[in-house]
Amino acid sequence: MRNSVFWLVIVAVGIAFVVVSRLYLTNEYFYFAGYVVLQYIVLSTAWNILGGYTGYTNFGTGAFFAVGAYSSAVLHKLPQLLHSAFDLTIIPVPLPVMIVVGGLISGLLGLGTGYLTLRLRGVFFAIATLALSIVVQTLIVNWDFVGGSRGIYIIRPAMAPLGGGYIEYLFTLMTALSVLSVGIARSIEGSRLGLGLAAIRDDELAAEASGVPTLRLKLIATTMSGALMGMAGAPLPYYVTYLDPASSFNLAYAVNSVAMPVIGGMTSWIGPVIGAILLGTIQQLATVTISSALNLLIVGVLLILFVIIAPNGIVGLVQGWRRKWDV
Amino acid sequence: MADTLLEVTGLGKRFGGFVALEGIDLTIAKGERLGLIGPNGSGKSTLVNCLCGTLHNESGTVVFAGKPLDGMIAHERTRLGLARSFQLPKPFHSMSLVDNIRVPLLYTVNARPGHHLSDAAIAERCEELLTHVNLADKARRRPRDLTQVEMRKLELARAVATQPTLLFADEAMAGLSHSEIEEIIAVLLRLNEQGITIVLIEHIMTAVMSFSTRLAVLVAGHKIADGLPQEAIRNPEVERAYLGE
Repeated sequence: MRNSVFWLVIVAVGIAFVVVSRLYLTNEYFYFAGYVVLQYIVLSTAWNILGGYTGYTNFGTGAFFAVGAYSSAVLHKLPQLLHSAFDLTIIPVPLPVMIVVGGLISGLLGLGTGYLTLRLRGVFFAIATLALSIVVQTLIVNWDFVGGSRGIYIIRPAMAPLGGGYIEYLFTLMTALSVLSVGIARSIEGSRLGLGLAAIRDDELAAEASGVPTLRLKLIATTMSGALMGMAGAPLPYYVTYLDPASSFNLAYAVNSVAMPVIGGMTSWIGPVIGAILLGTIQQLATVTISSALNLLIVGVLLILFVIIAPNGIVGLVQGWRRKWDV
Repeated sequence: MADTLLEVTGLGKRFGGFVALEGIDLTIAKGERLGLIGPNGSGKSTLVNCLCGTLHNESGTVVFAGKPLDGMIAHERTRLGLARSFQLPKPFHSMSLVDNIRVPLLYTVNARPGHHLSDAAIAERCEELLTHVNLADKARRRPRDLTQVEMRKLELARAVATQPTLLFADEAMAGLSHSEIEEIIAVLLRLNEQGITIVLIEHIMTAVMSFSTRLAVLVAGHKIADGLPQEAIRNPEVERAYLGE
Protein backbone atom coordinates (compact mmCIF):
# COMPACT_ATOMS: atom_id res chain seq x y z
CA MET A 1 0.00 0.00 0.00
CA ARG A 2 1.30 3.43 -0.89
CA ASN A 3 2.16 5.73 1.99
CA SER A 4 -0.44 8.36 1.17
CA VAL A 5 -3.17 5.68 1.01
CA PHE A 6 -1.95 4.20 4.29
CA TRP A 7 -2.13 7.63 5.96
CA LEU A 8 -5.68 8.13 4.68
CA VAL A 9 -6.70 4.69 5.95
CA ILE A 10 -5.29 5.10 9.45
CA VAL A 11 -6.67 8.63 9.82
CA ALA A 12 -10.10 7.27 8.77
CA VAL A 13 -9.74 4.36 11.21
CA GLY A 14 -8.75 6.77 14.00
CA ILE A 15 -11.72 9.08 13.35
CA ALA A 16 -14.13 6.12 13.11
CA PHE A 17 -12.74 4.68 16.35
CA VAL A 18 -13.31 7.95 18.22
CA VAL A 19 -16.79 8.51 16.74
CA VAL A 20 -17.98 4.96 17.48
CA SER A 21 -16.56 5.12 21.02
CA ARG A 22 -18.34 8.40 21.69
CA LEU A 23 -21.62 7.11 20.26
CA TYR A 24 -21.78 3.76 21.97
CA LEU A 25 -19.59 3.86 25.08
CA THR A 26 -20.90 5.71 28.07
CA ASN A 27 -18.82 4.10 30.81
CA GLU A 28 -15.89 6.41 31.62
CA TYR A 29 -13.73 3.46 32.61
CA PHE A 30 -13.45 2.47 28.96
CA TYR A 31 -11.82 5.83 28.21
CA PHE A 32 -9.44 5.54 31.17
CA ALA A 33 -8.39 2.03 30.15
CA GLY A 34 -8.37 2.81 26.41
CA TYR A 35 -6.15 5.85 27.01
CA VAL A 36 -3.49 3.64 28.61
CA VAL A 37 -3.57 1.12 25.75
CA LEU A 38 -3.32 3.93 23.18
CA GLN A 39 -0.48 5.52 25.15
CA TYR A 40 1.39 2.22 24.92
CA ILE A 41 0.80 2.08 21.17
CA VAL A 42 2.61 5.43 20.91
CA LEU A 43 5.38 4.44 23.34
CA SER A 44 6.07 1.02 21.83
CA THR A 45 5.94 2.36 18.27
CA ALA A 46 8.34 5.15 19.27
CA TRP A 47 10.65 2.67 21.01
CA ASN A 48 10.60 0.45 17.94
CA ILE A 49 11.97 3.20 15.68
CA LEU A 50 15.26 3.03 17.58
CA GLY A 51 15.08 -0.45 19.10
CA GLY A 52 13.45 -2.43 16.32
CA TYR A 53 14.37 -0.63 13.10
CA THR A 54 17.87 0.44 14.17
CA GLY A 55 18.74 -2.27 16.68
CA TYR A 56 19.62 0.02 19.60
CA THR A 57 17.91 -1.03 22.85
CA ASN A 58 16.65 1.95 24.79
CA PHE A 59 15.80 1.50 28.47
CA GLY A 60 15.26 5.23 28.95
CA THR A 61 11.63 5.42 27.82
CA GLY A 62 10.67 6.69 31.28
CA ALA A 63 12.98 9.70 30.89
CA PHE A 64 11.56 10.82 27.53
CA PHE A 65 7.99 10.15 28.65
CA ALA A 66 8.43 12.04 31.94
CA VAL A 67 10.14 14.98 30.22
CA GLY A 68 7.00 15.31 28.08
CA ALA A 69 4.80 15.09 31.19
CA TYR A 70 6.84 17.61 33.17
CA SER A 71 7.07 20.05 30.25
CA SER A 72 3.24 20.09 30.34
CA ALA A 73 3.32 20.66 34.11
CA VAL A 74 5.63 23.65 33.58
CA LEU A 75 3.41 25.05 30.82
CA HIS A 76 0.38 24.50 33.06
CA LYS A 77 1.98 26.67 35.73
CA LEU A 78 3.30 29.22 33.25
CA PRO A 79 0.32 31.68 33.33
CA GLN A 80 0.45 31.75 37.14
CA LEU A 81 4.23 32.25 37.09
CA LEU A 82 4.08 35.10 34.56
CA HIS A 83 1.31 36.75 36.49
CA SER A 84 3.12 36.67 39.83
CA ALA A 85 6.57 37.53 38.46
CA PHE A 86 5.80 40.07 35.71
CA ASP A 87 2.14 40.86 36.27
CA LEU A 88 1.49 39.44 32.81
CA THR A 89 -1.80 37.73 32.05
CA ILE A 90 -1.87 35.02 29.39
CA ILE A 91 -4.47 32.40 28.53
CA PRO A 92 -3.84 28.84 29.73
CA VAL A 93 -1.70 26.87 27.29
CA PRO A 94 -3.90 24.44 25.31
CA LEU A 95 -3.05 20.74 25.62
CA PRO A 96 -2.22 20.25 21.90
CA VAL A 97 0.42 23.00 22.26
CA MET A 98 1.77 21.21 25.34
CA ILE A 99 2.00 18.00 23.31
CA VAL A 100 4.01 19.76 20.59
CA VAL A 101 6.32 21.39 23.16
CA GLY A 102 6.73 18.08 25.03
CA GLY A 103 7.64 16.43 21.73
CA LEU A 104 10.17 19.15 20.89
CA ILE A 105 11.89 19.01 24.29
CA SER A 106 12.01 15.20 24.36
CA GLY A 107 13.20 15.20 20.75
CA LEU A 108 16.06 17.52 21.74
CA LEU A 109 16.82 15.26 24.70
CA GLY A 110 16.90 12.33 22.26
CA LEU A 111 19.25 14.21 19.94
CA GLY A 112 21.59 15.13 22.80
CA THR A 113 21.52 11.65 24.27
CA GLY A 114 22.13 10.15 20.87
CA TYR A 115 25.09 12.42 20.21
CA LEU A 116 26.67 11.45 23.53
CA THR A 117 25.87 7.74 23.52
CA LEU A 118 25.51 6.46 19.97
CA ARG A 119 29.19 5.68 19.67
CA LEU A 120 28.40 2.98 22.22
CA ARG A 121 26.91 -0.25 21.00
CA GLY A 122 24.85 -3.12 22.36
CA VAL A 123 24.57 -3.44 26.09
CA PHE A 124 26.66 -0.31 26.72
CA PHE A 125 24.13 1.86 24.89
CA ALA A 126 21.29 0.21 26.84
CA ILE A 127 23.04 0.94 30.16
CA ALA A 128 23.63 4.56 29.10
CA THR A 129 19.90 5.05 28.42
CA LEU A 130 19.05 3.52 31.79
CA ALA A 131 21.47 5.99 33.38
CA LEU A 132 19.77 8.83 31.50
CA SER A 133 16.49 7.93 33.17
CA ILE A 134 18.10 8.09 36.60
CA VAL A 135 19.81 11.42 35.84
CA VAL A 136 16.60 13.06 34.60
CA GLN A 137 14.62 11.69 37.56
CA THR A 138 17.20 13.09 39.99
CA LEU A 139 16.91 16.51 38.33
CA ILE A 140 13.10 16.46 38.59
CA VAL A 141 13.17 15.25 42.22
CA ASN A 142 15.30 18.29 43.06
CA TRP A 143 13.25 20.81 41.07
CA ASP A 144 10.83 22.54 43.43
CA PHE A 145 8.96 24.42 40.71
CA VAL A 146 7.38 21.13 39.57
CA GLY A 147 6.87 19.83 43.09
CA GLY A 148 10.16 17.94 43.53
CA SER A 149 9.73 14.53 45.11
CA ARG A 150 6.32 15.57 46.58
CA GLY A 151 4.80 15.86 43.16
CA ILE A 152 2.38 18.42 41.78
CA TYR A 153 -1.42 18.57 41.53
CA ILE A 154 -2.82 19.53 38.16
CA ILE A 155 -6.39 20.75 37.95
CA ARG A 156 -7.98 19.91 34.64
CA PRO A 157 -9.72 22.73 32.75
CA ALA A 158 -13.43 22.89 33.54
CA MET A 159 -14.46 22.60 29.90
CA ALA A 160 -13.24 19.93 27.49
CA PRO A 161 -12.88 20.89 23.83
CA LEU A 162 -14.71 18.72 21.26
CA GLY A 163 -17.61 18.12 23.69
CA GLY A 164 -17.93 15.35 26.26
CA GLY A 165 -15.85 14.93 29.41
CA TYR A 166 -12.14 15.68 29.74
CA ILE A 167 -11.17 12.01 29.75
CA GLU A 168 -12.93 11.63 26.38
CA TYR A 169 -10.88 14.56 25.08
CA LEU A 170 -7.67 12.94 26.35
CA PHE A 171 -8.73 9.67 24.72
CA THR A 172 -9.28 11.50 21.41
CA LEU A 173 -5.88 13.19 21.58
CA MET A 174 -4.13 9.90 22.37
CA THR A 175 -5.93 8.27 19.42
CA ALA A 176 -4.58 11.08 17.21
CA LEU A 177 -1.07 10.53 18.61
CA SER A 178 -1.37 6.79 17.96
CA VAL A 179 -2.36 7.47 14.35
CA LEU A 180 0.55 9.90 14.00
CA SER A 181 3.13 7.52 15.47
CA VAL A 182 1.94 4.50 13.47
CA GLY A 183 1.86 6.62 10.28
CA ILE A 184 5.41 7.85 10.91
CA ALA A 185 6.67 4.31 11.66
CA ARG A 186 5.07 2.92 8.49
CA SER A 187 6.48 5.78 6.40
CA ILE A 188 9.98 5.16 7.77
CA GLU A 189 9.72 1.43 7.14
CA GLY A 190 9.27 1.72 3.40
CA SER A 191 11.62 4.64 2.89
CA ARG A 192 15.29 5.22 2.15
CA LEU A 193 15.67 6.08 5.85
CA GLY A 194 14.11 2.75 6.85
CA LEU A 195 16.46 0.83 4.59
CA GLY A 196 19.44 2.69 6.07
CA LEU A 197 18.28 1.98 9.64
CA ALA A 198 17.80 -1.72 8.79
CA ALA A 199 21.32 -1.79 7.36
CA ILE A 200 22.64 -0.33 10.63
CA ARG A 201 20.71 -2.94 12.61
CA ASP A 202 22.06 -5.80 10.48
CA ASP A 203 25.69 -4.69 10.38
CA GLU A 204 26.92 -1.21 11.15
CA LEU A 205 30.37 -1.62 9.56
CA ALA A 206 28.87 -2.97 6.35
CA ALA A 207 26.31 -0.15 6.37
CA GLU A 208 29.06 2.47 6.67
CA ALA A 209 31.02 0.72 3.91
CA SER A 210 27.90 0.92 1.74
CA GLY A 211 27.79 4.69 2.15
CA VAL A 212 25.18 4.86 4.94
CA PRO A 213 25.88 7.87 7.20
CA THR A 214 25.28 5.76 10.31
CA LEU A 215 25.70 8.43 12.99
CA ARG A 216 23.33 10.86 11.23
CA LEU A 217 20.66 8.20 10.77
CA LYS A 218 20.93 7.03 14.36
CA LEU A 219 20.54 10.63 15.53
CA ILE A 220 17.40 10.97 13.40
CA ALA A 221 16.07 7.76 14.98
CA THR A 222 16.78 8.84 18.58
CA THR A 223 15.27 12.28 17.96
CA MET A 224 12.07 10.90 16.39
CA SER A 225 11.75 8.18 18.99
CA GLY A 226 12.34 10.60 21.87
CA ALA A 227 9.91 13.18 20.43
CA LEU A 228 7.07 10.65 20.12
CA MET A 229 7.69 9.37 23.65
CA GLY A 230 7.58 12.96 24.94
CA MET A 231 4.33 13.57 23.06
CA ALA A 232 2.85 10.45 24.68
CA GLY A 233 3.84 11.79 28.10
CA ALA A 234 2.57 15.35 27.61
CA PRO A 235 -1.13 14.67 28.42
CA LEU A 236 -0.21 12.55 31.49
CA PRO A 237 -0.59 15.36 34.09
CA TYR A 238 -4.20 15.86 32.98
CA TYR A 239 -4.84 12.13 33.02
CA VAL A 240 -3.47 11.42 36.49
CA THR A 241 -4.12 14.98 37.88
CA TYR A 242 -1.27 14.37 40.30
CA LEU A 243 2.20 14.08 38.83
CA ASP A 244 5.11 12.77 40.87
CA PRO A 245 8.53 11.39 39.86
CA ALA A 246 7.81 7.89 41.18
CA SER A 247 4.84 7.37 38.88
CA SER A 248 6.01 9.34 35.85
CA PHE A 249 9.42 7.58 35.76
CA ASN A 250 7.81 4.24 36.58
CA LEU A 251 9.84 1.24 35.44
CA ALA A 252 6.66 -0.12 33.82
CA TYR A 253 6.99 2.39 30.97
CA ALA A 254 10.49 1.18 30.08
CA VAL A 255 9.64 -2.52 30.49
CA ASN A 256 6.36 -2.32 28.58
CA SER A 257 7.78 -0.28 25.72
CA VAL A 258 10.47 -2.94 25.24
CA ALA A 259 8.19 -5.95 25.81
CA MET A 260 5.37 -4.85 23.51
CA PRO A 261 7.45 -4.65 20.30
CA VAL A 262 9.34 -7.84 21.24
CA ILE A 263 6.04 -9.71 21.70
CA GLY A 264 4.37 -8.15 18.66
CA GLY A 265 7.42 -8.21 16.37
CA MET A 266 10.11 -5.58 15.92
CA THR A 267 10.68 -5.43 12.17
CA SER A 268 7.27 -4.08 11.20
CA TRP A 269 5.05 -1.17 12.32
CA ILE A 270 2.22 -3.57 13.12
CA GLY A 271 4.27 -5.52 15.69
CA PRO A 272 4.33 -2.84 18.42
CA VAL A 273 0.65 -2.09 17.77
CA ILE A 274 -0.31 -5.76 18.26
CA GLY A 275 1.95 -6.01 21.33
CA ALA A 276 0.53 -2.84 22.87
CA ILE A 277 -3.09 -3.84 22.29
CA LEU A 278 -2.49 -7.37 23.58
CA LEU A 279 -0.38 -6.58 26.64
CA GLY A 280 -2.13 -3.28 27.42
CA THR A 281 -5.57 -4.93 27.36
CA ILE A 282 -4.43 -7.90 29.47
CA GLN A 283 -2.92 -5.49 32.00
CA GLN A 284 -6.09 -3.41 32.18
CA LEU A 285 -8.20 -6.54 32.63
CA ALA A 286 -5.86 -7.82 35.34
CA THR A 287 -6.02 -4.44 37.09
CA VAL A 288 -9.81 -4.56 37.48
CA THR A 289 -10.19 -8.30 38.01
CA ILE A 290 -7.15 -9.25 40.11
CA SER A 291 -4.60 -6.54 40.93
CA SER A 292 -2.42 -4.00 39.14
CA ALA A 293 0.49 -5.53 41.03
CA LEU A 294 0.29 -8.42 38.57
CA ASN A 295 0.95 -6.24 35.53
CA LEU A 296 4.73 -6.50 35.44
CA LEU A 297 4.54 -10.21 36.27
CA ILE A 298 2.31 -10.77 33.24
CA VAL A 299 4.73 -8.82 31.05
CA GLY A 300 7.68 -10.82 32.40
CA VAL A 301 6.06 -14.21 31.84
CA LEU A 302 4.88 -13.32 28.33
CA LEU A 303 8.28 -11.87 27.46
CA ILE A 304 10.08 -15.06 28.52
CA LEU A 305 7.57 -17.22 26.64
CA PHE A 306 7.89 -15.20 23.45
CA VAL A 307 11.68 -14.99 23.56
CA ILE A 308 11.76 -18.81 23.76
CA ILE A 309 8.86 -19.74 21.48
CA ALA A 310 8.66 -16.85 19.03
CA PRO A 311 11.78 -14.64 19.16
CA ASN A 312 10.52 -12.67 16.16
CA GLY A 313 7.21 -11.94 17.87
CA ILE A 314 3.69 -12.55 16.66
CA VAL A 315 4.45 -10.98 13.28
CA GLY A 316 7.44 -13.30 12.84
CA LEU A 317 5.31 -16.27 13.84
CA VAL A 318 2.64 -15.41 11.25
CA GLN A 319 5.29 -14.78 8.56
CA GLY A 320 6.80 -18.19 9.33
CA TRP A 321 3.41 -19.90 8.95
CA ARG A 322 2.81 -18.08 5.68
CA ARG A 323 6.19 -19.19 4.32
CA LYS A 324 5.43 -22.81 5.27
CA TRP A 325 1.99 -22.49 3.69
CA ASP A 326 3.53 -21.14 0.46
CA VAL A 327 6.00 -24.03 0.32
CA MET B 1 52.91 9.07 -11.52
CA ALA B 2 50.26 10.71 -13.67
CA ASP B 3 47.76 7.87 -13.33
CA THR B 4 48.15 7.43 -9.58
CA LEU B 5 44.85 6.61 -7.88
CA LEU B 6 45.94 6.03 -4.29
CA GLU B 7 49.04 7.29 -2.58
CA VAL B 8 49.88 6.18 0.95
CA THR B 9 52.84 7.81 2.69
CA GLY B 10 54.33 6.79 6.03
CA LEU B 11 51.13 5.23 7.34
CA GLY B 12 51.26 3.93 10.91
CA LYS B 13 48.74 2.31 13.23
CA ARG B 14 49.13 1.08 16.82
CA PHE B 15 46.81 -0.85 19.10
CA GLY B 16 48.06 0.21 22.52
CA GLY B 17 51.68 -0.89 22.62
CA PHE B 18 51.37 -3.16 19.59
CA VAL B 19 52.62 -1.70 16.34
CA ALA B 20 50.24 -3.01 13.66
CA LEU B 21 51.58 -0.89 10.79
CA GLU B 22 54.63 1.32 10.52
CA GLY B 23 55.89 3.58 7.75
CA ILE B 24 53.77 2.06 4.99
CA ASP B 25 54.34 3.67 1.59
CA LEU B 26 52.15 2.41 -1.22
CA THR B 27 51.14 3.78 -4.58
CA ILE B 28 48.37 2.25 -6.67
CA ALA B 29 47.84 3.20 -10.29
CA LYS B 30 44.49 3.41 -12.06
CA GLY B 31 43.37 0.09 -13.53
CA GLU B 32 45.96 -1.92 -11.61
CA ARG B 33 45.41 -5.36 -10.06
CA LEU B 34 47.48 -5.34 -6.90
CA GLY B 35 47.91 -8.44 -4.76
CA LEU B 36 48.50 -7.70 -1.09
CA ILE B 37 49.90 -10.67 0.78
CA GLY B 38 51.51 -11.45 4.09
CA PRO B 39 51.34 -13.99 6.91
CA ASN B 40 48.51 -13.86 9.45
CA GLY B 41 48.79 -10.79 11.66
CA SER B 42 51.02 -8.95 9.18
CA GLY B 43 48.61 -5.99 9.03
CA LYS B 44 46.84 -6.52 5.70
CA SER B 45 43.30 -6.10 7.01
CA THR B 46 44.42 -3.29 9.33
CA LEU B 47 45.81 -1.47 6.29
CA VAL B 48 42.52 -1.93 4.42
CA ASN B 49 40.59 -0.75 7.50
CA CYS B 50 42.78 2.37 7.73
CA LEU B 51 42.44 3.14 4.03
CA CYS B 52 38.65 2.64 4.07
CA GLY B 53 38.14 4.71 7.23
CA THR B 54 37.04 1.88 9.56
CA LEU B 55 40.17 2.53 11.64
CA HIS B 56 42.05 5.79 12.01
CA ASN B 57 45.77 5.76 11.30
CA GLU B 58 47.88 7.68 13.81
CA SER B 59 50.52 8.74 11.33
CA GLY B 60 50.98 9.14 7.60
CA THR B 61 48.80 10.47 4.83
CA VAL B 62 46.45 8.90 2.33
CA VAL B 63 45.58 10.66 -0.91
CA PHE B 64 42.88 9.17 -3.11
CA ALA B 65 42.15 10.54 -6.59
CA GLY B 66 44.03 13.70 -5.63
CA LYS B 67 42.04 14.23 -2.41
CA PRO B 68 43.54 13.77 1.06
CA LEU B 69 41.45 11.33 3.10
CA ASP B 70 42.72 12.32 6.56
CA GLY B 71 39.83 12.71 9.00
CA MET B 72 37.28 11.49 6.45
CA ILE B 73 34.86 8.89 7.83
CA ALA B 74 34.14 5.57 6.15
CA HIS B 75 30.91 6.39 4.30
CA GLU B 76 32.44 9.57 2.87
CA ARG B 77 35.37 7.54 1.49
CA THR B 78 32.89 5.08 -0.04
CA ARG B 79 31.09 7.95 -1.74
CA LEU B 80 34.45 9.13 -3.05
CA GLY B 81 34.92 5.79 -4.83
CA LEU B 82 36.71 3.57 -2.33
CA ALA B 83 34.87 0.29 -1.78
CA ARG B 84 35.63 -2.89 0.10
CA SER B 85 34.39 -6.37 0.73
CA PHE B 86 34.86 -7.92 4.16
CA GLN B 87 37.02 -10.86 5.17
CA LEU B 88 33.96 -12.43 6.83
CA PRO B 89 30.91 -11.66 4.66
CA LYS B 90 28.66 -9.09 6.29
CA PRO B 91 25.39 -9.22 4.38
CA PHE B 92 22.30 -7.37 5.60
CA HIS B 93 20.56 -10.48 6.95
CA SER B 94 17.05 -9.08 7.26
CA MET B 95 16.95 -7.90 3.64
CA SER B 96 16.51 -9.64 0.31
CA LEU B 97 19.50 -9.74 -2.03
CA VAL B 98 17.96 -6.91 -4.06
CA ASP B 99 17.69 -4.72 -0.98
CA ASN B 100 21.28 -5.56 -0.07
CA ILE B 101 22.26 -3.99 -3.38
CA ARG B 102 19.77 -1.12 -3.09
CA VAL B 103 21.46 0.20 0.07
CA PRO B 104 24.72 1.28 -1.64
CA LEU B 105 22.84 2.51 -4.71
CA LEU B 106 20.62 4.76 -2.58
CA TYR B 107 23.24 5.89 -0.12
CA THR B 108 26.36 6.09 -2.27
CA VAL B 109 25.48 6.54 -5.93
CA ASN B 110 22.44 8.76 -5.28
CA ALA B 111 24.36 10.76 -2.68
CA ARG B 112 26.98 11.87 -5.21
CA PRO B 113 26.42 15.36 -6.58
CA GLY B 114 24.79 15.29 -10.01
CA HIS B 115 23.68 11.66 -9.69
CA HIS B 116 20.16 10.53 -9.15
CA LEU B 117 18.99 7.10 -10.12
CA SER B 118 15.22 6.74 -10.37
CA ASP B 119 13.47 3.78 -8.70
CA ALA B 120 13.28 2.04 -12.08
CA ALA B 121 16.98 2.64 -12.76
CA ILE B 122 17.86 1.31 -9.30
CA ALA B 123 15.81 -1.86 -9.90
CA GLU B 124 17.50 -2.31 -13.27
CA ARG B 125 20.96 -1.80 -11.79
CA CYS B 126 20.23 -4.29 -8.97
CA GLU B 127 19.25 -6.92 -11.50
CA GLU B 128 22.31 -6.16 -13.62
CA LEU B 129 24.68 -6.49 -10.65
CA LEU B 130 23.09 -9.71 -9.39
CA THR B 131 23.22 -11.15 -12.93
CA HIS B 132 26.89 -10.19 -13.10
CA VAL B 133 27.59 -12.47 -10.13
CA ASN B 134 25.05 -15.16 -11.16
CA LEU B 135 22.65 -14.44 -8.33
CA ALA B 136 19.74 -13.01 -10.33
CA ASP B 137 17.56 -16.08 -9.73
CA LYS B 138 17.88 -15.59 -5.97
CA ALA B 139 17.19 -11.86 -6.00
CA ARG B 140 14.20 -12.09 -3.63
CA ARG B 141 15.83 -14.56 -1.26
CA ARG B 142 17.56 -13.69 2.01
CA PRO B 143 21.34 -14.09 2.51
CA ARG B 144 20.71 -17.07 4.84
CA ASP B 145 19.64 -19.08 1.75
CA LEU B 146 23.02 -18.58 0.05
CA THR B 147 26.01 -20.87 -0.10
CA GLN B 148 29.45 -19.67 1.00
CA VAL B 149 30.56 -18.77 -2.53
CA GLU B 150 27.26 -17.00 -3.23
CA MET B 151 27.68 -15.01 -0.04
CA ARG B 152 31.14 -13.91 -1.26
CA LYS B 153 29.63 -12.91 -4.59
CA LEU B 154 26.90 -10.91 -2.87
CA GLU B 155 29.59 -9.17 -0.84
CA LEU B 156 31.41 -8.23 -4.07
CA ALA B 157 28.20 -7.15 -5.83
CA ARG B 158 27.30 -4.87 -2.92
CA ALA B 159 30.76 -3.30 -2.99
CA VAL B 160 30.59 -2.85 -6.78
CA ALA B 161 27.12 -1.26 -6.44
CA THR B 162 28.86 1.77 -4.93
CA GLN B 163 30.40 2.32 -8.40
CA PRO B 164 33.92 2.39 -7.01
CA THR B 165 37.13 3.31 -8.74
CA LEU B 166 39.14 1.27 -6.24
CA LEU B 167 37.95 -2.00 -4.70
CA PHE B 168 39.60 -3.85 -1.82
CA ALA B 169 38.66 -7.52 -1.95
CA ASP B 170 39.62 -8.74 1.51
CA GLU B 171 40.10 -12.52 1.44
CA ALA B 172 37.19 -12.91 -0.96
CA MET B 173 38.18 -16.53 -1.62
CA ALA B 174 38.77 -17.81 1.91
CA GLY B 175 37.21 -21.24 2.46
CA LEU B 176 36.23 -21.75 -1.17
CA SER B 177 36.92 -24.76 -3.38
CA HIS B 178 39.21 -24.57 -6.42
CA SER B 179 36.34 -24.12 -8.88
CA GLU B 180 34.70 -21.50 -6.64
CA ILE B 181 38.00 -19.60 -6.45
CA GLU B 182 38.11 -19.55 -10.23
CA GLU B 183 34.56 -18.18 -10.29
CA ILE B 184 35.52 -15.32 -7.97
CA ILE B 185 38.69 -14.58 -9.96
CA ALA B 186 36.60 -14.43 -13.13
CA VAL B 187 34.24 -11.95 -11.46
CA LEU B 188 37.17 -9.81 -10.27
CA LEU B 189 38.80 -9.85 -13.71
CA ARG B 190 35.53 -8.73 -15.33
CA LEU B 191 35.30 -5.87 -12.83
CA ASN B 192 38.88 -4.86 -13.58
CA GLU B 193 38.11 -4.89 -17.32
CA GLN B 194 35.30 -2.45 -16.56
CA GLY B 195 37.91 -0.03 -15.18
CA ILE B 196 37.83 -0.79 -11.47
CA THR B 197 41.24 -0.88 -9.83
CA ILE B 198 41.40 -3.89 -7.53
CA VAL B 199 43.49 -4.71 -4.49
CA LEU B 200 43.25 -8.42 -3.70
CA ILE B 201 44.16 -9.34 -0.13
CA GLU B 202 44.57 -13.07 -0.12
CA HIS B 203 46.38 -16.08 1.31
CA ILE B 204 45.73 -18.38 -1.62
CA MET B 205 48.90 -17.85 -3.64
CA THR B 206 47.71 -19.49 -6.87
CA ALA B 207 44.80 -17.05 -6.93
CA VAL B 208 47.01 -14.07 -6.15
CA MET B 209 49.59 -15.00 -8.77
CA SER B 210 47.04 -15.58 -11.52
CA PHE B 211 45.16 -12.37 -10.74
CA SER B 212 47.75 -9.75 -9.80
CA THR B 213 49.82 -7.57 -12.07
CA ARG B 214 51.79 -6.36 -9.04
CA LEU B 215 52.46 -7.73 -5.58
CA ALA B 216 53.03 -5.98 -2.26
CA VAL B 217 54.10 -8.00 0.76
CA LEU B 218 53.52 -7.05 4.38
CA VAL B 219 55.29 -8.67 7.30
CA ALA B 220 54.81 -7.60 10.92
CA GLY B 221 53.36 -4.24 9.90
CA HIS B 222 56.12 -3.38 7.42
CA LYS B 223 56.11 -3.54 3.65
CA ILE B 224 59.03 -5.74 2.70
CA ALA B 225 58.50 -6.12 -1.04
CA ASP B 226 56.65 -4.42 -3.86
CA GLY B 227 56.93 -5.27 -7.55
CA LEU B 228 56.11 -7.76 -10.25
CA PRO B 229 54.57 -10.92 -8.69
CA GLN B 230 57.28 -13.34 -9.86
CA GLU B 231 60.04 -11.01 -8.63
CA ALA B 232 58.33 -10.18 -5.33
CA ILE B 233 57.87 -13.80 -4.23
CA ARG B 234 61.52 -14.53 -4.98
CA ASN B 235 62.60 -11.68 -2.76
CA PRO B 236 64.79 -13.26 -0.02
CA GLU B 237 62.93 -11.38 2.72
CA VAL B 238 59.58 -12.70 1.47
CA GLU B 239 60.94 -16.25 1.29
CA ARG B 240 62.22 -15.89 4.84
CA ALA B 241 58.85 -14.58 6.07
CA TYR B 242 56.94 -17.43 4.47
CA LEU B 243 59.37 -20.33 4.69
CA GLY B 244 61.59 -19.36 7.63
CA GLU B 245 65.40 -19.24 7.76
